Amino acid sequence: MISFKSLEEELFYKTLRIRMVEERIAEIYPSDKIQSPCHLSIGQEAVAVGACHSLTNEDLIFSNYRGHAYMLAKGGSLKEMIAELYGKYTGCGHGKAGSMHLFSEKVGMMVSSAVVASTIPHAVGAALGMKNNQRKNIAVTIFGDGATEEGIFHESLNFAALKQVPVLFLCENNGLAIHSKLNARQAYKIADIPKSFGIKTIVCEEGYDPLKVHACFSKAIQEMKKNPAPVFIEVTTCRYREHVGPNEDFNAGYRSKKEVDIWKSKDPVCTNKKGIEQYAPMIQKEINEAVEFAENSPWPEAKELLNDVQ
Amino acid sequence: MTSNKAPKLNDKSSYLTLSQDFAGEVISFRKALTESMEFGLKEFPNTLIMGQGVDDHKGIFGTTAGLAEKYGADRVFDTPLAEEGMTGVAIGASLAGMYPIQTHIRVDFALLAMNQLINLAAKYKYMSGGKFEVPMLIRMIIGRSWGQGSQHSQSLQSLFGHIPGLTVMMPSSAQSILESYPYFMMNHKGPVISIEHRLLYDIDFRVSDIPRQKESSPLTSYIAKPGKDLTIVATSIMVLEALRAADYVKKNAGIDCEVIDLNCISHPNRQMITESVKKTGKLIVADTSWQAYGVCAEMCRIISETCPTALRAPVITMGMAPSPCPTAKNLEDLFYPNERGLVDEICKLVTNREEHGIVLPTDQSTVESYKTFKGPF
Ligand SMILES: Cc1ncc(C[n+]2csc(CCOP(=O)(O)OP(=O)(O)O)c2C)c(N)n1
Repeated sequence: MISFKSLEEELFYKTLRIRMVEERIAEIYPSDKIQSPCHLSIGQEAVAVGACHSLTNEDLIFSNYRGHAYMLAKGGSLKEMIAELYGKYTGCGHGKAGSMHLFSEKVGMMVSSAVVASTIPHAVGAALGMKNNQRKNIAVTIFGDGATEEGIFHESLNFAALKQVPVLFLCENNGLAIHSKLNARQAYKIADIPKSFGIKTIVCEEGYDPLKVHACFSKAIQEMKKNPAPVFIEVTTCRYREHVGPNEDFNAGYRSKKEVDIWKSKDPVCTNKKGIEQYAPMIQKEINEAVEFAENSPWPEAKELLNDVQ
Repeated sequence: MTSNKAPKLNDKSSYLTLSQDFAGEVISFRKALTESMEFGLKEFPNTLIMGQGVDDHKGIFGTTAGLAEKYGADRVFDTPLAEEGMTGVAIGASLAGMYPIQTHIRVDFALLAMNQLINLAAKYKYMSGGKFEVPMLIRMIIGRSWGQGSQHSQSLQSLFGHIPGLTVMMPSSAQSILESYPYFMMNHKGPVISIEHRLLYDIDFRVSDIPRQKESSPLTSYIAKPGKDLTIVATSIMVLEALRAADYVKKNAGIDCEVIDLNCISHPNRQMITESVKKTGKLIVADTSWQAYGVCAEMCRIISETCPTALRAPVITMGMAPSPCPTAKNLEDLFYPNERGLVDEICKLVTNREEHGIVLPTDQSTVESYKTFKGPF
């Protein structure tokens, strides 16, 4: 275990670790060793770290396809994650799930789904179960701004508010759905929607800062554990790379590099050189081991194809 | 109440205009799609193209790219992520005289719109005693390619083919698109679902000099290759696999296969299929999807109902393994049906022996792009 001087340092370390993992994946990607479409979280890691830091293994999270950061922030195994991307038997889903469907049953990372908004009600249902069993835990659902356009999002908010279940709606607002900006898709302000259901709603505009994100979440989570009720937190964030895949795509013209550069200038994982110097070597070592583990792991046997179907 | 207004058609034009423009040329599946999208916008002022990403730089694998700039954002527009709602909007627009073309970049996402498709679009005409119709085209793309996994690769034609009131296409060539898409826009008054296979997009096809249909509709099946020893009924990319397999067994074992391109899932040419089976006495069905309750099962129904005694051997069906799609490459290769498996089945069927002794082809897939395909999406 590494001992940290401060919470800030610990959160910085966790964020840097995810960034370095993602960058390594992007590096490996062109080799075709990872034959699984990856929606990298580069630029958005601080949200996952800040949100998950105050959760226990019994608090359950339900993610979407952009799930690498949540798998790691929730404490899922890096080795199992990389092996899953490689399609190896030692991956969390025995190589059958891929990047878009990560999970870790050991730490309450329940699912990642590639169908937008599809797991939002799962968290509501899990929270219903927790409340009925008088467990002092919460369920978290993670989704993007685009997901709020789906009917199921509104249906889930309504039911959560109706039953006052301890579900935390976490909206990662990166302003984009693939290449489409908010104003091309939405005639509403996201935070107004949960408010209209009477759900406590918080907006955190500093999604680059894991400490600030953490502050929002830890307070909300503590309250939810005392008095079960839904909470909605919208975090403004920024996706640095293309929607899916390892590259930047500023040449596509749907947004400018400048917008992203402004964000990077505030992002501690870009600016805190001293911190990077201090922690990068040990993180690199861990990543090397995970990649080696994945490369040396066996493929799933043919019989795996029909295992776990029914 | 106003009655449904079909899109204004130019009486002089025939739906074959577009395919005739390309007669004798070699064009890709993608190009045929692009051309047919543009044809719709250019010829018919009521055509709309709506869907997530239709107006971005990638434009549904290039098939709608540039059209928003050219024909305006009122006619070609991005939609919110709201599959069911947007399908309902398309139905409403159709009732008001528009011809909506809706896109789903994965078949899987259309599952969110099942209510509108099955409970509404498929039933408007019937429930209105024929007074309302909802002409519209819904393009859905099968996402198969490496690593797409369980939720981005499904081939769900049988779900739609099951429903009276839906017309379901699976074009397997540029020609099929050039003939059928204009037909839908000009002559067909109901909702059409066209399931396009992504691996076909980069493949080039020669468009024949003479139209395959002169008077009647392209909602039918075609003989892709005549033969006498056995019948293969195939869909979508499996037509290409079947043609390659047929070629292989002809050269290596002197077996003469007849390949039927089913083409229209909802309107198979039953007569063509039964006549072929009566001639050959042997049937293989090669579908892109799961066998149970699907195209494979339907072909068996057609034969059992019309000419059960024509079969001289049990029917063989080929499709995806009965599991969700895995991402590990070695399992994915086992999951999908391929030319090699097809050759094996053909040889077993014709020689009536498990150990037929005919050497199987080594390479496993029709599509070069499949092997060389680089992700991510
Ligand atoms: C139901 C559904 N519709 C469409 C898609 C295609 N798609 C995948 S991600 C995406 C954008 C989602 O944007 P957002 O929710 O903001 O999340 P982000 O990817 O920006 O993290 C779309 C349209 C899908 N996967 N599922």
